[in-house]
Amino acid sequence: MYVGFWPDFLSRLPYGIMVTLEILTITIPVSIGYGIILGSARVYGNAWIRLFATGLVVTFRGFPLVVTLFLLFYGLPEVGVKLSPFWTAVTAFILCSGAYQSEYVRGAIRSLEVGQIEAARAIGMTKTQELFYVVLPQAIPRALPGISNEIIYQIKYSSLAYLVGVNEIFGITQSVVSIYFRPLEAFMTAAAIYLIMTTAAHFGFKGLERHVSIPGLQIEIR
Amino acid sequence: MKTIVLKVEDIHKSYGKQEVLKGIFFELKRGETKVIAGPSGAGKSTLLRCINLLTKPDKGRVWLENIELTDPEVDINKLRAKIGFVFQHFNLFMHLTAIENVMLGPIRVLKLSKDEARKRAEEALLRVHITEDLWNKYPAQLSGGQQQRVAIARALAMNPVVILYDEPTSALDPELVGEVLQVMKELASQKVTSLVVTHEIGFAVSVADELMFMYGGKIIEKGIPREVVYSPRNEATKRFFANIAKLYGKQGT
Repeated sequence: MYVGFWPDFLSRLPYGIMVTLEILTITIPVSIGYGIILGSARVYGNAWIRLFATGLVVTFRGFPLVVTLFLLFYGLPEVGVKLSPFWTAVTAFILCSGAYQSEYVRGAIRSLEVGQIEAARAIGMTKTQELFYVVLPQAIPRALPGISNEIIYQIKYSSLAYLVGVNEIFGITQSVVSIYFRPLEAFMTAAAIYLIMTTAAHFGFKGLERHVSIPGLQIEIR
Repeated sequence: MKTIVLKVEDIHKSYGKQEVLKGIFFELKRGETKVIAGPSGAGKSTLLRCINLLTKPDKGRVWLENIELTDPEVDINKLRAKIGFVFQHFNLFMHLTAIENVMLGPIRVLKLSKDEARKRAEEALLRVHITEDLWNKYPAQLSGGQQQRVAIARALAMNPVVILYDEPTSALDPELVGEVLQVMKELASQKVTSLVVTHEIGFAVSVADELMFMYGGKIIEKGIPREVVYSPRNEATKRFFANIAKLYGKQGT
């Protein structure tokens, strides 16, 4: 059925946008949480936990994202685990992005002055209390610029989901291009939508950074 | 007879080949204030940190109210909660306001309700003369003297058996030293048991029950502060206080 490029594209695009947003509403918060847990585990875990967490980071930061996607989608069924295209994409994005984010969190934890941690211990806090009430409340804001980088990557790399058959923004654009051969308009439109999303994320994180900044600690720029 | 609340026996500590503490013994009775003085590198800070195990001593034992702190079976967090520690660089929690800094321990460690913790924090802050207008300021918005007083309040709010001060005025601008020493003096006179590492000889002479002079990882002289400062028996002690007197003149006392 030939209904014309724009009517066809524009009628299918909202579905693609919905799917992309569905992926991201799961992967963004979960990958941040996973990154915080991994990063904390690499500093505060015992030897086994540290080894395990480090293994996860090295592995999924080391695999190209496409390879992870294909491994999950084509490889896992061979050992009896079958994920839908949607959940394959979600899982791969979380594993990859969380591994990167954990490094920002770990760096932020390492950047804290040892004095505050000693003060927490000196009032009798356990290591867990120290982590939750002294370390993370300060480390997470410090990790935010790095985390926001990762989230912007995630928005863009969500387009890779089309490789395992998810009909998100890029998947729909591709299929429309293959019917109408109007790559310039189609890809420009897709690019514009991603740009809107990444820009929104940029400003969102900027606001968040301002919201969590500690009075008196920032350098005055103006 | 006043009860002994802190007892330190034969503490040794080495960093690599460097032996920093070579067998330290002393006791602290309830309500007493003792001062430890001595040149840089004598092991004063290390000794203080060995008492609440921020640094693990290689050998020796520490008792707090008849419980052995250095016993590996003991829950060190429970005991640390009873030992106030005031750091040279204040070490306030930078993400919390003054009053939240003081409330954190009572809420999380002592498991008090928020209201109870707040009441305790307010009392502690008033004891160190931090007035209500400063309670909701963040550490970075306070002067050094104010920060150190909040840090003292944070220790006080835990109702500690003893407070250890690790050079509490060394990081302060000269004009801010007085307000912190004043608070420490008041607490000493209210019989808050204290162990103070400091170079403030005036404080030692006017407040402390005993002055212990450390040199090369040992307490080489101790006694009534005035006597240790003005008629020391040991050569190293003599040299140290002569230098301090040269630096500060006599007005410090």
